Amino acid sequence: MFAGNHSPQFSPCPGPLGRRSFMRLGLAGFASLSLPGILRARAHAAAAAGIAKPAANRTAVIMVWQPGGCSHVDTYDPKPDIGSEYRGPFKTIATKVPGTRITELLPLQARIADKFTILRSMNQKAAGHPAGSMQLLSGDPDTRDKPKPRLPDWMSIASYFRSKQGGRDNPLPNYIGVNPVIEYNGPVYVGAAYAPFSVSGDPNLPNFEVPNIGLSDPAEASRIGGRVALRKSLDTMERAFDTLGELGALDQFEAQAVTLLTNPQTRDAFDLSKEDPKVRDRYGRNRWGQQLLLARRLAEAGVEILTSSLSGPLCGRVSNWDDHAVNHNIFDALRFRAGAYDQAVSALIEDIYARGLDKRVLVVVTGEFGRTPKIEFSPSTGAGDGSAPAGTTQPGRDHWPRAFSNIWAGGGIQTGGVIGATDKRGEDVVERACGPDDFLATIYHHLGIDSAKEAIQDFNGRPTLIVQNGRPIPELIGRT
Amino acid sequence: MVFHPTRLAALAVACIVSDACAAAETPQKLSFINDVAPVLTKASCNTGACHAKAGNGQNGFRLSLFGFEPEEDFEHIVKEDRGRRLFPAAPEHSLLLRKATNSLPHGGGLKISPDSEDYRVLLEWVRQGAPYGDAATPKVTRLEVLPANQTLRMHAEQQLRVLAHFSDGSQKDVTRHANYEPNDKNLAEVDEAGLVRTSDIPGNAAIMIRYQGKVATFSTSIPLGAAVEKTPSPSNFVDELVFANLRRLGIPPSPVCDDSTFLRRVSIDIAGHQPTMEEARAFLADKSPDKRAKLVDSLLSSPGYADYFANKWAAILRNKRLDKGTPASFAFHSWLRDGLLANKPYDVLIRELLAATGEAVSNPPVAWYNQVKTPEQQLEDVAQLFLGVRMNCAQCHHHPFERWSQNDYYALSAFFSQIGRRPTPIAGQSVIFHKRGIALGENKKTKAQVKPAGLGGPELEIPPDDDPRLRLADWMSDKANPFFAKSLVNRYWKHFFNRGLIEPEDDIRDTNPPSNPELLDALARHFKDSNYDLKAVVRTITTSAAYQLDAMPNAVNAADRQNFSHFYPKRLNAEVLLDAVDQLTGSATDFADLPAGTRAIALPDNSYNKSSYFLTVFGRPEGDSVCECERVQSSSLSQSLHLMNAPEVKAKLSKAGGRAAALAKASDDNASIAEIYAAALSRTPRESELKTALEFLGRPRSDAKGVQLDPAKTRTAAYEDLLWALINTKEFLYNH
Repeated sequence: MFAGNHSPQFSPCPGPLGRRSFMRLGLAGFASLSLPGILRARAHAAAAAGIAKPAANRTAVIMVWQPGGCSHVDTYDPKPDIGSEYRGPFKTIATKVPGTRITELLPLQARIADKFTILRSMNQKAAGHPAGSMQLLSGDPDTRDKPKPRLPDWMSIASYFRSKQGGRDNPLPNYIGVNPVIEYNGPVYVGAAYAPFSVSGDPNLPNFEVPNIGLSDPAEASRIGGRVALRKSLDTMERAFDTLGELGALDQFEAQAVTLLTNPQTRDAFDLSKEDPKVRDRYGRNRWGQQLLLARRLAEAGVEILTSSLSGPLCGRVSNWDDHAVNHNIFDALRFRAGAYDQAVSALIEDIYARGLDKRVLVVVTGEFGRTPKIEFSPSTGAGDGSAPAGTTQPGRDHWPRAFSNIWAGGGIQTGGVIGATDKRGEDVVERACGPDDFLATIYHHLGIDSAKEAIQDFNGRPTLIVQNGRPIPELIGRT
Repeated sequence: MVFHPTRLAALAVACIVSDACAAAETPQKLSFINDVAPVLTKASCNTGACHAKAGNGQNGFRLSLFGFEPEEDFEHIVKEDRGRRLFPAAPEHSLLLRKATNSLPHGGGLKISPDSEDYRVLLEWVRQGAPYGDAATPKVTRLEVLPANQTLRMHAEQQLRVLAHFSDGSQKDVTRHANYEPNDKNLAEVDEAGLVRTSDIPGNAAIMIRYQGKVATFSTSIPLGAAVEKTPSPSNFVDELVFANLRRLGIPPSPVCDDSTFLRRVSIDIAGHQPTMEEARAFLADKSPDKRAKLVDSLLSSPGYADYFANKWAAILRNKRLDKGTPASFAFHSWLRDGLLANKPYDVLIRELLAATGEAVSNPPVAWYNQVKTPEQQLEDVAQLFLGVRMNCAQCHHHPFERWSQNDYYALSAFFSQIGRRPTPIAGQSVIFHKRGIALGENKKTKAQVKPAGLGGPELEIPPDDDPRLRLADWMSDKANPFFAKSLVNRYWKHFFNRGLIEPEDDIRDTNPPSNPELLDALARHFKDSNYDLKAVVRTITTSAAYQLDAMPNAVNAADRQNFSHFYPKRLNAEVLLDAVDQLTGSATDFADLPAGTRAIALPDNSYNKSSYFLTVFGRPEGDSVCECERVQSSSLSQSLHLMNAPEVKAKLSKAGGRAAALAKASDDNASIAEIYAAALSRTPRESELKTALEFLGRPRSDAKGVQLDPAKTRTAAYEDLLWALINTKEFLYNH
C-alpha cells in the first residue's frame, strides 16, 4: 500500500494516518506540518511555565486491571438463588442504587453505587490469559494464545493519536502504567515510542521513588544540566538534520527528559507525600490503594492514559486473580483481597467526583474475563494467602470469557445501575451483549477518537481499523 | 438494446452543465457493472472501513473491497435479505438510495446527494429493473490517463483526464468516477476530480488511478529548476544516472564529503562498526588516491560485513529463538553469516533457503520453515522478501493497487503445497521434506485448484517427484524475472541511502514507480550480470560519488529527499549504537552464553533484546515481521531518558579502566580530547570544540553544598561528562 495516508477519495473516513507518518511528515520539511518543531516550542513553553492544569477537553482514562480475571458471580453479578454447585459463600447486599445488589465483599462500592455503572454483559471469545487479554485490550478476535500480540492495545493507540494531535503542554509522559498492564499486550506496529512509561515498585513504601523522575540529588541534576549544555555547544551538525525535521523531535525528547529528571514539579506529580494523609488513608495504606491514588494524581497533573494492575501479594498466593482451585481457595482468596480492592476502587471513584475530574477522567475496572460459575474442586498446589496446604481439596473457578462484568465511572457517563444481564447461573449473557470492540469503542469515544473510522497501517502497510465492529456502549455514553 | 458508453458519457457531461436536463433525456439502458458499481466505488461505500469491512461488511450489508467482485455486490444489493434494499415499485424509496442520501439514518452520513447525477443514475437503474448487464455489456479492458507523463512546476496544477476503454472498442471519460491516490503526498496531492497539485518539494511523483478494477498511473517530474553547474566526477554508472536525474530536475548536488565522514559512514554502513581511533588515524594519514575504494574492499572482506548483513537478514527471516537447549537460531545465523562472508551468490543463498530439507541442526535454513509454517505465510514472506511484492492483500481479495488476484496468490502458494513436516524431539523444530505429489493450491474463495505459477509467469506442470520449491527458485533467479534482482538492489540501495528508489523498499508495483527508473534498471542489470554478487552491489554503491556526497545541503537542495542530491543522515541502529558507545567509553556489554567481547551486531537472534533494555529501547526488531520497518528508528522519550540516566549507561561511562578513567590520568588534555574525537567521530576536533572542551574540563566543580572539590578528583567525572555530551550529539547518534 501507499506509504502515506489513505487519501480521502479512497476512504470516506478522514484521518487514518500511517503509523509513522508523524515522522514522514516531519521529514518532508513541510513547515506547516513540522510537528516536532511545534512540540519543541511547546516543550520550552511548558518547561518555563511549570506544569499547567490540563484543559477540560483533554480527556483521560484510568484502567484498573484485575490480572487473571475476577469472579463476576462473587462480586458484581451475584446469583444468590442458584444451587450450591454454583453458589459462593458471599451474601448479597443492597447498594445506594435501589434494586442493584452486589456481594458483601464490596460494601464501600455499594455505598457509592450511584457513581458507577456495572456492565454485566461483557463477553469475549478467548479463554487463555494471553488471548483473553489481547481480545479485550486490542480487539484481536484470535482465540488462540500467542506469545505476542498481533494488534496494538488501546493504550498505545490512544497514546499515538494523542501525540499526533499535539497540543499537549506537559512534560509528563502521556501514557503511564502505575504497575503497568503490559504482560500480554503492547504497541506492536504503533511503535515502541507509544509504550507506557512504567512506574513499578510499591508506592506505599516510604522510600518509594520513580526512577528517571526528579532526581533527588541536586548535584546529579546540575550535572545533567551541565552535560546537556556541553552537548549543545558541541553539536555542530544541526543544519544537516534540520532539513529532515528530526532534530526537533530529538531536542523535544531531550528537553522533556531533562524536565522529567530535574524539574521538581514533575517529581511532585509522582510524590504521594504531597497528598493529604487523610486522602492517602482513604485509598488504603497499601500498594493497591497508593497505586490508584498515584494514578489519580497523575491524571490530575495532565497524564491522559493510565493503567494500574492490581497484582502482587495483596492478591494472595499466586499474586493475581487467577483463582483456580490449584492456586487458591477462591473464596478465601477473594476475602483476602476484597478489603484492599474495595477500598482502593471506591476511593478512586469517589475522589474523581470529589475533585471535579468526573467529566474529564473515565475510570474502568476490569480483568480479561470472568470465572466459571460452576465451582470446581482440586487439590491445592501449595499453602499461602488464600490457599490451603498442598494436597488440600479446595474450591476454585476457572477461566470464563462468555460472561463477565466491568465497572465504569467518571468520564461524563451515565452512572448508577446496571447494563445487561447474564442467565440464572451467570454463564451466558442474556441481555445487551457487549464485546471487546464495544469496550474499546467506548474508551476511544471518551478520548475523542472516532473508532469507527480511524485506521493505522500495520507492518504490511495495510490500514487496520482500530476497532473492527464495535460501537460506544450507548447506555454508558448517554446516546442511543 | 445496445449500450453505448460514449453516449452516456456525453449525457453525464451535459448534465453537469445543466441539471435541468435529467428528466428530458431518453434514458439509456444501464447496467450494474458499468454504471452503478463505479458510483458506489466513487462514493467510497466499499472501503475497508465501511461496507467492505472484513467479516460481514457494515451492519449486515456487505460489498467487496473497492468493488473487485461486482457479481457478489450485485447479489448483496439486489437479492440478499429478500431484496429489501431495492424497492422497484417506488424506486426512490429503495433502502440503497435512502441510506446513501442519509434520508434514513446512515452511519456513513450523506454519500450521494439527491440532486446529483450519481443519484439519478442509481434511481434510473432501479427503475429499469436493476439489471446486472448481460453478455453484450462491454467490459472495461484498459484505463488510460491523459497526460500519462508531465513535468510540472512547483505549486502547479494539472487536471487529469481518465478514459476507460471497453471490450467493444468504445471508450468513456470516467474522470469523475475514477479514484486517485498519490504515492508521495509531500510532492503532489490530487483531489477527487483528478486535479493534481504540486507542493514546494522537487522530485518525481506518481498518481495512481483506479476504475473498475483497472489501474493507470500518472507520473510527474517536478523540477527545482536551479542551475546544475557541476557534479562530482562520476566513478561508475550509478553516478551518471543519479546526476543525470539531478540535472533533469535542476537540483545541484552537495560536494563529496571529507575523508573522516566517508570513513565513518562507510564503516557503519558496510560493517556496522564505528571506526576506532587507530583506524581513523591510519585512514586520514593514508595519502593514496584510491584509499576509499581500498577501504570498501577491506570492509567487504572483514567479518564485520558478514555480521552486519547477517543481522539485517536474520531479522526479516524471522530468526527467533524457539528453544533453550540447542538453538537452531544460532545455526541459521551462522549459515547466513558464512554465506555472506564467502559471498555465496544471492540466487544460491535463496535457493538453499527455499528448498531447505532435513533438520535445522544439520541444514540450518530449515529453521526458516520452523518459523514460517503455512504455505500462505511462506508465499507472502517469499514474495515480500525476495520479489518486493506484498501479496498479503490478495489472500482475501484482489490486491487493491495491483494486478494480483486471489488466483495469483494461490498459484504462488502451490509451490509450498508439498512440504512435509515431521516432529523432532526438540520442541518447535520439525524435519522438513518434500512430500511426493502434484503441487496445487486451493483458491479459498472459489475452491478451485490452482496450478503453481510465479507472478505473471506461466502455469507449471510439476512432476510429483520434483520438489516444487526448486521450480520456484528457478523462476525467481531466471534473469528474465522482473522482480528478483530489482527487489534486492532496491533493498540494498535503501540500506545505504536511507531511502529506496522505490519506497517502501518491499512494495514494488506498477503503480508505485521508482524515483529513478533508469538507475533501478541499471542496478538490477548489473546485479544479474555479476551473477548475483552481493558484495559487488555493495561495492558499486559505496564507491559511487553519489554515496559519498556530503550530508550538509547546499543553498538550494535542502528540500530534496528522494533524489539523493545530498546524503540523508540516519540514526545509528540499536546494535551499532550500543557497540559505538561501548567502543567510545572503553566498556563492553555482556550477553548471556556468548563469548566476552561479542558485539551487539553479531548477536545471533532476538533473544538478547529481553536482557538488554538498550537494544529494546532503540528499536532492535524481534524478528516478528518480514518488513524492515519493524526496526524502529524514530526517537522517543525513553531513549533520551535511557541515555541520560540509565544505570547501564552510567556504568559504561564510569567503567574502571574505561576511557574516561584513563584519560583523567593522562596529563595532556589536548591529546585526550583529540583521542575522543577520533574515537567518536573519526576526525580531529575543531578549534572551537577544543576550546569548549578544555574550558569544560578546567571548570571548577563544587558539591551539593557549594564546597569546591579537588580538581584532581573531579577530572574523571569531567571526562565522563565530555563523553556523554559527545554521545548525545547528532553527529554521533547519526550516520551522516
